[in-house]
Amino acid sequence: MRILRALHHFLRSDARHFQIAFLQGFLAYGVLALGWDAEWPRYAVLVATCLLVQTLFIRWKGLPWHTLKSALVTGSGMSLLLKSDSLAVLAMGAAIAIGSKFFLRVDGKHVFNPGNLGIGAAVLLTGDAWVSPGQWGSGPVLAFLLGAAGCMVVLRVGRIDTSLAFLATYAALEFARQVLYLGWEPEVWLHRMTNGALLLFTFFMITDPMTTPKAQGARIGWSMAIGILAFVLGTAWWINATPIWSLLIISAATPALDRLWKGRRFTWTPGAPLTPATTNNR
Amino acid sequence: MRTLLLAALLAAASQASAFCGFYVAKADATLFNDRSEIILVRDGERTILTMSNDFKGDVKDFALVVPVPAVLKREDIKVVQRHVFDALDAYSAPRLVEYYDENPCMQWRFAEAQMDEVLAAPTTLNHIREEKEAMAKGVTIEARYTVGEYDILILSATESVGLKDWLIGNGYRIPQTAHEVLDPYIKSNLKFFVVKVNLQELKASGFSTLRPIQIRFDSHKFMLPIRLGMANSKGSQDMIVHAFTRTGRVECVNYRTVKPPTDRNIPLFVKERFGPFYRDLFARAHRREGRNAVFLEYAWTVTPSFNGMKCDPCVGPPPMPREFAEAGADWGPQGGNTFYTRLHVRYARDRFPQDLVFQVTPNTEHFQARYILTHPAQGDLSCTAGQDYLEELYYRRGRELEELSALTGWDIEKRKGYVDEVKGKMSPERRKGLSAPLFPNLPKGPSGPMLIALVAAAMLLFTELAYRRNALSRAPLTS
Repeated sequence: MRILRALHHFLRSDARHFQIAFLQGFLAYGVLALGWDAEWPRYAVLVATCLLVQTLFIRWKGLPWHTLKSALVTGSGMSLLLKSDSLAVLAMGAAIAIGSKFFLRVDGKHVFNPGNLGIGAAVLLTGDAWVSPGQWGSGPVLAFLLGAAGCMVVLRVGRIDTSLAFLATYAALEFARQVLYLGWEPEVWLHRMTNGALLLFTFFMITDPMTTPKAQGARIGWSMAIGILAFVLGTAWWINATPIWSLLIISAATPALDRLWKGRRFTWTPGAPLTPATTNNR
Repeated sequence: MRTLLLAALLAAASQASAFCGFYVAKADATLFNDRSEIILVRDGERTILTMSNDFKGDVKDFALVVPVPAVLKREDIKVVQRHVFDALDAYSAPRLVEYYDENPCMQWRFAEAQMDEVLAAPTTLNHIREEKEAMAKGVTIEARYTVGEYDILILSATESVGLKDWLIGNGYRIPQTAHEVLDPYIKSNLKFFVVKVNLQELKASGFSTLRPIQIRFDSHKFMLPIRLGMANSKGSQDMIVHAFTRTGRVECVNYRTVKPPTDRNIPLFVKERFGPFYRDLFARAHRREGRNAVFLEYAWTVTPSFNGMKCDPCVGPPPMPREFAEAGADWGPQGGNTFYTRLHVRYARDRFPQDLVFQVTPNTEHFQARYILTHPAQGDLSCTAGQDYLEELYYRRGRELEELSALTGWDIEKRKGYVDEVKGKMSPERRKGLSAPLFPNLPKGPSGPMLIALVAAAMLLFTELAYRRNALSRAPLTS
């Protein structure tokens, strides 16, 4: 019991601990229960590249070592989504992901969600990587697992508004299209909404507190815009994994939203003094 | 030393067939709608879809409706030879591989697909009457062709009731539930590719069976409308998709694409029953995956060359360039790489609410569903090394039986003789030292990992809630 308590205390001390535990748990679930190919070298390359690049920047810019946790979150998240036959492509994606945090900055804050940008870059630039939105399947049990785990993390970082605004917008539009307009049974809509990749995105990617707009109102509008664009891309052009592309596009507007609506800057370690080093780097 | 040599008994699971659209009968003929085979070629926005026809009934009752994203032109519709499917199926089907502990030898056997005899009878169409009626019901006949032995109409409709009425008025028996499915397709701006058999043409062609129909169109949509096919089928249906792309594997976007168990060592006696073996293995794997997954049965680079295609190991004669051309996977004069993905879907209404949507990936990793037989060494085995070998063989056969039971759920109690016959060749002292091979009882019910995940999630949630209440009563949270 004492060990459990200690473990729990450790997990609670930083929301990223939860995040890392869950993302790794999902990976294990995927490999063990869903029969994914256990592509350990690929996962290892993604995580190792993220950590390595982050280490370089820590040494170069004198950042605190706890920022490595953020790199681990990025690497774990990318392991769940990005696939490629080539290890070099994965390494490139991971390097771009972490590198973007230091090079693509506006007003002392990085613009793109690192994992999101890394995935986008690997898929678009090389044509040798892909995302498998179907690899999770769909189902109420899956939705519960991802949702519950997601809420635990998202509530802690105070970004539940982002998740809900996105999901509600996207689900409402899909409902209007699939059920009200096309006339499919609600089951078809439910099958789409309980897709594992969508939920993973909703709770573990869009909610990154470092790259969401700082003011709550702006954040909700921003999330809704992502939902709308994801719906439009999927409906009009039959693009797959649209939330990922939508987030990438809408993220470009984040700095503008931050200038228009000021908000408090997020920090992973609430007790620590607010220095640029601890606040800026995820 | 083990020598791999020969290969190939193919899963002879060919039964009745169905399209991804649905059959509608003009009379109350009994329809079989259990298994369909299609070839799906995707190149950029272009899709070439070939549908195999194994219709078991009177051909004058044959009718087919497939939703398509565009009005097809005459040159977009083709009739192809059935042997293309046979060649692809023979090449990519799950295979049995035999190893010999000693002398290699060679043996080939192929399963032959059943061809159904059909009879021809004359028919006529009153085009003018048809079109008038169509207009009145919001149905437009966009085009009308006769291709090979088929009369083809491309319909567009403004509402499902009109379309349903028109089809019924023209003698098609529409399943009651089809009406609900037609509506979403009409609103998605799909057209309807409606096919009947032209009995005169069939007679003139000299073919006794209906040949596969091939259509090509350009569209963003890379999907198969399976929902329509479920309208007149109560149980589950099987569909084999032979997909060809330039880049790599085709995978499903809205369902999981999983692999059946492969590279398993199974007992020798399975050779005689490989068809039933794979059928039961598939059924079990299908249940284990929650009955809502798409199975990958084969994935290989099959770029055609002058000597035919390269393969490793070859288990059937590889398809020839002319067969690729017939399937539409030849990319024209500029050539290029070809990747072959064989998918097997067993779908039923309750577990497959959505149509199948696919994507082309750059994934070129090879895969085959392959099961291994190992023949024992022959001759005198009385020397020490021989006795060691027999002991190893004894345990190996025990493991093979366990594997068989785990894969198919077959009762292996009756098959203990397979292990015991090895005992007979061993010296009495050796026999004494043996421990009985283990025959496990198979777990039933929901899958273990799923339960573990659920329990873990529930525990985490519980500790979290408990901790939260404690923490709240003591000190305010910082996060």
